[in-house]
Amino acid sequence: MSVKAFELVPAVERDLLMGDKARINIECIECCGKHLYVGTNDCFIHHFLLEEHTTPKGKLAFSAQKLLHKYLGLKKPVNELKAASALERLIVLCDNSVTVVDMVNLEPVSSGGARIKGVVSFCLNENPVNGDPFCVELGVIATKRRTVQIYMVYEDRVQLFKEVSTPEQPCAVCLDGYFLCLALSTQYMILNYSTGASQDLFPYDSEEKKPIVKRIGREEFLLAAPGGLGMFATAEGVSQRAPVNWSESVLGAAVCFPYVLALDEGFVTVHSMLDQQLKQTLSFRDGHILQDFEGKVVLASTKGVYVLVPLPLERQIQDLLTGHRVEEALTLAEGARRNIPKDKFQIMHRRILQQAGFIQFGQLQFLEAKEHFRKGQLDVRELISLYPLLLPSTSSFTRCHPPLHEFADLNQLAQGDPEKVQRCKLFLISYLREARSTEGANGCREDVDTALLKLYAEASHESLLDLLASENACLLADSAPWLEKHHKYFALGLLYRYNSQDDAALQLWVKVVNGDLQDSTRADLFDYIVDFLSFCPNLDLVWKYAEWALQRDQKVGVQIFTRRAVSDDQTDQMNPDAIIEYLHKYQQATVLYLEHLVLERRLQKEKFHTHLAVLYLDKVLGLLSQSPTLTQEVTEAREQLQNLLKESNLYRVQLLLGKLQESELLLERATLHGKLEEHDKALHILVHQLKDFPAAEAYCLWASASRNQEHRQRLFHLLLGVYLDSDAPGDEHTVAAVDLLNRHAGMFDATQVLCLLPEGWSLQLLRPFLSGALRGAMHARRTSQVALGLARSENLLLKHDRLKYRGGPVVVSEKKGCQLCHNTFTEPDCVCLPGGVPVHTHCAAQRARDSPRKRQSTNPSNHT
Amino acid sequence: MPDYAKTKKPDVKLVILGDMNVGKTSLLHRYMERTFKDTISTVGGAFFLKQWGPYNISIWDTAGREQFHGLGSMYCRGAAAVILTYDVTKWQSLVELENRFVSLTDTANSDCIFAIVGNKADLTDTRAFAVEPEENGTEEKEQGPRASSSPAAPPKGHKQVSREDAVALYSRILQYKLLAEETCLPAERMCFETSAKTGYNVDLLFETLFSMVLPSIRRKEAQSDSPTVDLEECREVKGAKPGCCT
Ligand SMILES: Nc1nc2c(ncn2[C@@H]2O[C@H](COP(=O)(O)OP(=O)(O)OP(=O)(O)O)[C@@H](O)[C@H]2O)c(=O)[nH]1
Ligand SMILES: [Mg+2]
Repeated sequence: MSVKAFELVPAVERDLLMGDKARINIECIECCGKHLYVGTNDCFIHHFLLEEHTTPKGKLAFSAQKLLHKYLGLKKPVNELKAASALERLIVLCDNSVTVVDMVNLEPVSSGGARIKGVVSFCLNENPVNGDPFCVELGVIATKRRTVQIYMVYEDRVQLFKEVSTPEQPCAVCLDGYFLCLALSTQYMILNYSTGASQDLFPYDSEEKKPIVKRIGREEFLLAAPGGLGMFATAEGVSQRAPVNWSESVLGAAVCFPYVLALDEGFVTVHSMLDQQLKQTLSFRDGHILQDFEGKVVLASTKGVYVLVPLPLERQIQDLLTGHRVEEALTLAEGARRNIPKDKFQIMHRRILQQAGFIQFGQLQFLEAKEHFRKGQLDVRELISLYPLLLPSTSSFTRCHPPLHEFADLNQLAQGDPEKVQRCKLFLISYLREARSTEGANGCREDVDTALLKLYAEASHESLLDLLASENACLLADSAPWLEKHHKYFALGLLYRYNSQDDAALQLWVKVVNGDLQDSTRADLFDYIVDFLSFCPNLDLVWKYAEWALQRDQKVGVQIFTRRAVSDDQTDQMNPDAIIEYLHKYQQATVLYLEHLVLERRLQKEKFHTHLAVLYLDKVLGLLSQSPTLTQEVTEAREQLQNLLKESNLYRVQLLLGKLQESELLLERATLHGKLEEHDKALHILVHQLKDFPAAEAYCLWASASRNQEHRQRLFHLLLGVYLDSDAPGDEHTVAAVDLLNRHAGMFDATQVLCLLPEGWSLQLLRPFLSGALRGAMHARRTSQVALGLARSENLLLKHDRLKYRGGPVVVSEKKGCQLCHNTFTEPDCVCLPGGVPVHTHCAAQRARDSPRKRQSTNPSNHT
Repeated sequence: MPDYAKTKKPDVKLVILGDMNVGKTSLLHRYMERTFKDTISTVGGAFFLKQWGPYNISIWDTAGREQFHGLGSMYCRGAAAVILTYDVTKWQSLVELENRFVSLTDTANSDCIFAIVGNKADLTDTRAFAVEPEENGTEEKEQGPRASSSPAAPPKGHKQVSREDAVALYSRILQYKLLAEETCLPAERMCFETSAKTGYNVDLLFETLFSMVLPSIRRKEAQSDSPTVDLEECREVKGAKPGCCT
């Protein structure tokens, strides 16, 4: 639990003070800069100059030079000494009176004027309210019972400023602002000498034990409390810090932030004000006085003077950190915030936080470590550098000196425990990820990303690909061997890609697909490559690898071209003509590509349509020439061909017809004839050669699909004619003809059909046709009757309206004026406005010429 | 600016009083560190800072020993809540509350709230004895023996103080404070029986009190709303909800 916070250094040795005079004792001391004043029991004041120096061994030492000693001439001990350096005065209490002497020659200033009589004890206000720098405020316990006085001490005079009475006899006093902190005989209290308000603190038997009242800062005091406690109290009477635990025999206390020092019979104890813990104990016999002067803690026995030199804060903190006492070290550092210049503090504080973080990291307390790293703004590379080989070899990073931690590397830290190493690595992954997403990686993104990549690769972490697919600063030269080592070829390819080395990426991936390299990251790597090529803007590369892809799998490989936007630009390497040219070696790919152009993109180019049709045809012919024929495949291939022949209007019909002439693909031939409007040929093939009557019917429907009714009727009649053709009579044709008629009654002109039909056919046979035809005719008749009726009624309505508008007889006379021009009528010719108002013909014409709006506004009455 | 709980001024103060050995330190320890460990009789006093949402609450543990009795008033000065603790197995500890400790609270805030807490309930009450052990990963921190790890012997301590006694004391305190019972928090809500050993009702006690002193914090804040902007004070009071950090 101990820290070395102070070192005891002798300042004034016995012989310098009193030689061998045994009865002379030190009574009081004052220290002001380098000046040390000692008051003795034989009424002397000794003045020393205290020089600080370092011994050859590096230890701090003091050398005291005696400047002067002065006998006050009273044969009484010098009780108290206080320096008022601004006035260059020393205030002396001896024999119950305060005198003021010159700091340098120790001579009393002005006779008589600067003296206070009847003083038991006094104190100096270190935080005076009056702003006069050439005046010192004293709090005085007077010999007069229950009284405290406030004096103002000037260079050459002393003036009573205030006198306040206390409920009990005071025996110790301290002053801060208006607040007197007093030890009374049974308790401590705070007294505001300006307002007179008082605040009891706590009971204390001052008769039994010497009270201690010590100002430790603005409006805060440290008091000896029952049970050997050091209590803190503010001027409001509140304790803001927990008490420190002294011994019962405490004699004196001093403060040197952040420590409270206390002296008892055998020891000086050092407690921290920050956590109230005992930090150091120094053994010291015959201790007599312990006081602090502007941060310097002076300790005196009756015979000698010592200085308790605080060790530099950094050193104390380092000691704590060496002992892995992270919390205490941080508390100490943070407690010193106010005593250190801001920028210096920040640098120190950061370093301590970082060190603390590494200590916790070493103990695998990752959460705490992370927090400290974050607060301490640790350069991430400090952490990365702990992990062997993670930092790129090109990194300019060197570890901070002096080092932040004691570890050489992770292996030393983990002492060969693979589980620990693993946990540390996982921590680094999460830490680096966070650093990337915050400012943490600023300035060293390459190092961070490369390290993260290596960690991911090693752990086969799924985020490896995400890292490479997103913006990153991974160093290729450093990462590539690492990825290779861990067989992350796909990832390496991504990295090449990211570095615009698509060719290298492809080479690598191709090797993986070919099985020359092993990496199972992507089972569909081939598809991935094809996809990549289909978007790749570097056409040289596309041509280079298209060959390989097509050889491997035409169906997938052709996607390189089909996924690409079609270019019409003939100069473009990727125009369809060039691609087809390129693909000619790969028939399947060519077909797929043409299908893509014709069927998906619906490119209206004769060349492609013809080419595709020819390829389809070749395929069918090829299949047919095989033996045994694969019926299923033939059917499918023919369907494809037939669909194209039917749907497309662009291919060169004659060419195909020529190719088909020899073959048995009758249906296709019929379709081609249909395209040439040679319907009789087509139907002839269907009926006589193929003998497929449903196909013949379907043909009629198909060939007239986008044409008018008449055309369709014509085709059906044609078909009927083929059936009834006397040149090739046969029962089946008769049946077909009957079926056709009966099924498609509406497609025929019944009267024509009746003329065509052979005499001998029974009525019963054609019943559906006839009744259908009849029904159709009836329907047509009735529909036209309805239409007629409707037209009539409409006509009637119009007539009715007309009559209504015409109204009764129109009377025109010479007396009656025209509504428009108000002149009289001279002739019987007139025009009637709606409502039967007669006007002049020329007026009506005039009105009709005017704009409708104008007309309305000039003659609104016409509305009705 | 980083936040250092240690250097921040607390917003509100809570004080635990009670005779020595009733378990004040243990209660605080249970609440703050979530463990029960061996204690030594407190010397003087100690305090903890608890971050409660955006607020810093200082909790003072006092010494029950007679010797330090005089310090009590000072600890209570400005307190927003006082926890008066007794030991359910010791009648005298309740008596001492009335005799010695209630008067110490004269220096507390005028609107100070009081809780009466009977500790060591595990010794007398099966419910308090059989509290589930906590499962929040603080095992590493644990040093002392664990409540749940002690062999399961049913409570056999004799209960000397009943809840009714505590309730009666609560009303006497209100009388002493010259407060009308109807305007104060009801005794049922302010009398607790706890066990620092098993953790029984400990969180409930502190968190109930925290949420009750919140108005006091708010008022203090409103009062100190000076036209000077405190740049270091950048908390969101609006969304403040108690109980979010432990
Ligand atoms: N069985 C049981 N024992 C407890 C409980 N709380 C505290 N103790 C024991 O009671 C004794 C005193 O506990 P402390 O917490 O030190 O008591 P305290 O009130 O702080 O005492 P002072 O600091 O002297 O005022 C210790 O031995 C604890 O182990 C509890 O809830 N149940
Ligand atoms: Mg205690």
